[in-house]
Amino acid sequence: MRLKTRRLLDRAFSGMGLIAIGVMALALVVILTPIISKGTGAFVFRSTIEHRKVMSDHWGRGNADRVEKAKGQAAAARKPVYDLLSAFESELDTMPRAERKPYKKPLRDLQKALQNLLGPAPGARTPVLIRQQYGATRWDRAKIKLDEVLYTEEWDYSNPEVLGVLVKTPRVEQFCGTKLEPLFAYVEENSKPMMQPRWTFYWQFLFDTSKDSHIFGGIGPEVLGTVYLTLGAMIFAIPMGVIAAIYLCEYAREGRVISFLRICISTLAGVPSIVFGLFGLAFFLNTIHISDSKSVLAGALTLSLLILPTVIRASEEAILAVPRTYKEAALSLGAGRWHTVMTVILPAALPGILTGIVISMGRAAGETAPIIFTAAVSVGRPLLPSQVLSNPTPALPWNIYNLCTEHEAVDEIRHVQFGMVFTLVAVVLLLNVVAIIMRAKISKKLRG
Amino acid sequence: MKKAVLSTILMAVVALTVVAEETIVLDGSTTVGPIAKAFAEYFMAMHSDVNVTVSESGSGNGAKSLINGTCDVANMSRPMKSSEFSAAAEKGIQPVAHVVALDGLPILVHPGNPVSELTLEQVRDIYLGNISNWKQVGGPDKKIVVISRDTNSGTYETFEKMVMAKKKICEKAEYVGSNGAIRQRVQSTPAAIGYAGLGFVDKTVKALKINGVYPSGATVQTGEYPIARPLFMYTNGYPKLGSPVHRFVTIHLSEDGQEIVEEIGFVPVTAY
Repeated sequence: MRLKTRRLLDRAFSGMGLIAIGVMALALVVILTPIISKGTGAFVFRSTIEHRKVMSDHWGRGNADRVEKAKGQAAAARKPVYDLLSAFESELDTMPRAERKPYKKPLRDLQKALQNLLGPAPGARTPVLIRQQYGATRWDRAKIKLDEVLYTEEWDYSNPEVLGVLVKTPRVEQFCGTKLEPLFAYVEENSKPMMQPRWTFYWQFLFDTSKDSHIFGGIGPEVLGTVYLTLGAMIFAIPMGVIAAIYLCEYAREGRVISFLRICISTLAGVPSIVFGLFGLAFFLNTIHISDSKSVLAGALTLSLLILPTVIRASEEAILAVPRTYKEAALSLGAGRWHTVMTVILPAALPGILTGIVISMGRAAGETAPIIFTAAVSVGRPLLPSQVLSNPTPALPWNIYNLCTEHEAVDEIRHVQFGMVFTLVAVVLLLNVVAIIMRAKISKKLRG
Repeated sequence: MKKAVLSTILMAVVALTVVAEETIVLDGSTTVGPIAKAFAEYFMAMHSDVNVTVSESGSGNGAKSLINGTCDVANMSRPMKSSEFSAAAEKGIQPVAHVVALDGLPILVHPGNPVSELTLEQVRDIYLGNISNWKQVGGPDKKIVVISRDTNSGTYETFEKMVMAKKKICEKAEYVGSNGAIRQRVQSTPAAIGYAGLGFVDKTVKALKINGVYPSGATVQTGEYPIARPLFMYTNGYPKLGSPVHRFVTIHLSEDGQEIVEEIGFVPVTAY
C-alpha cells in the first residue's frame, strides 16, 4: 500500500515536471515565432522599385542598367495616372467656381495618398526630407498605401451611445462623372507594374546605416554599438572578475571580512539594472567626467559593473570545483601559490569561467537600462574604434525601445523593429551556443 | 602568437590616436526629437566629417545634461526654469535659447470616439477627475482613461501651465514616457484621452477642437488655438560663429529647415 502511494507520488511529480517543461517550451515558441517570422521580414521581403531606387541613390547598389530599365517600366505604368490627374486638373479649370470647390480637398487627399504610394510626381520639386522623396519601399506597405488610395476611411458616429465604427468607402465615389473616374480601376489593376515588386534578400540590413531616422536603410550603427559596448564591458569585467575570484578562493583567509564581501557581491548581483545606469551617470559622467558627453566608454564601464558579480560568482564556483588533489599535487612538487594558480587551477577551471563570461556577455549585450543615461542615443553615425572613448552610440536594446515607443512613425517601421529584436535575440543565442561549444571543447581537451 | 598580440595592440593604439572627427551631442525633449533627428540627417549629409547624435530623454534631462556639460545642444519643449538657470550659472554655463519651431498641444482621443470638441475647462475637469465619463461631455457611456506625460517632460509642464492652471492632475491618471507612447496608448484604448506634440498626430488618433478651434499650423501660428508653445534648442552661450554647432542651430532659419519642420508636422517660426 505504501509502495503504491510512493509510486503515485513519483508519477505525479514527474508529470508536474513535464508540464512545467511543456509550458516553458510553449512560452518560448510563442515568443520566438513572431520574432523569427517577422524579424526575417526585415531581411527577406518583396521590395518595390522604390527600394531599389533608395539602394542605388544612397548606396550605389544594384545593376545600374537593370534599375534604369525597371524604373522606366514603372514610370511607363504610372504615366496614365499622372495623365489622368492633369486631365482632371484642366477639366477643373473649365468648371464654374461653385462646382470646382467641392473637389479641392478630395483632390489634395488623393494626391497625398498617391504620393505615399508612388513618391513625388514626376516634375515636382524634390522634397528635403528623404522619407518624402520615395514611395512605399516594401510590397506589404505598398498594399496598405494602395488601399488608402482606393478607399477613404470615415468614422460613423451616428449612434452616440457607442463608439463610432470605421466605414470604408471607395474613393472613386468622390470623383464620379469626372475624368478622374477611370484612375482608380487603373491603379488597382496595375499596382504591380507600377511598383515592380520582387523578392529581395537585403542582408546589408545588418550593416547599413539608417537614412532619415530608420525609415530607410539598416541597423549597422546599432549592431556596431552593441558590439563595442559588449566588448568594452568584457575588457573591464573579465580581468577584475577573475582576479577577484582567485583572490577570494585562494588568497583570502576565511573570516568575517570575506563573508561580508561575499554578501556584498551577492547583493550587487541583485541590484536592478536601472540603478547601475543612474550610478554610471552620476559617477562616471557627472563626477569624474570620464568623457565630455555620454560615451561608449562610460556605458561599457557601467555594464562591466553590472556583470562583475556574475563573472566573480561563476569564476569562484569554477575554481572551487577544481579537485583539491590537483592543488595538493602541485604544492607537493614545490610550486608556489602563484604558480599553482596559473598553471593548475586556472586551466582546470577555465571551462566554468568561460561559460560564466559568455553568459554575462549575453546579458551585457541585451541590457537597456544601464546604457540609457551613459551611452545610448537614438541617432548617430557608426563609430570608429578611435571614437569610442568620447562618442555616444546607438545600440540595439535602446533603439528597439526607442523605435517602438518614441519614434514619430512607429507603424511605418515595424519591420525595422522586428529586425532589431531578431538580431539581438540571435546575437544572444549565438553567444550562448558559443559558450556551450567552448565549454565542451575545453573540458574534452583537459580530460586528455 | 606573441607577435600577433603585439601587432593587434599596436593597431589598436594607432586606431585610438587617429584624430577623432567633430561631434555635436543633442539631448532632451521627445517632442523636439523628430525635428532634431531630421536636422541631424540633413546636417550629416552635408558635413560628412561631423557626427551628430540625438537622444530623446525628456526636456528635464536635456536641461540637466546641458548644465552638467554632457551635451552641446539641449532640446526642450518648454523654456528653462529659473532653478535650472541658477544651477547653470553656478557651473559657469550660460543657456541661450534658439526657438526652432512652434507647436500646438492637440488633445487626442481614439478616432472612434464621437466627441470632437471640448472646452479648455472640460479638458481641465477631465484631468482633475471631475469629469470621469465620456457621457458627461456628450460621448458614449464609457469611463475616461486619462493619460499624461511623465513629470520630467516639457510637454507635461506646458500642459500643467496652460490647461491645468497649476492644479494637480488626478491620481488615476496614467503617466507615459514619450509622445509616441501617448499616441500608442490612445490609438489602442477607445476611451482614452491624451496630449502630444502636433507632429505626432496621424490618422490613428483624433485631435479635438478646443474652444472651437482645431489645432493646425495656421491656428497655432495666429495664437487662436489656446494650447501652443515654442520649441527650443538651448546651447551654452551663443555658439562660435561658423562652428558646427552654430551651423546646426541655425538650420531652422533656412528654407530647407523650415520645410523639414513643416513636413514633420510642426510649425516653422518664420512665416512667408
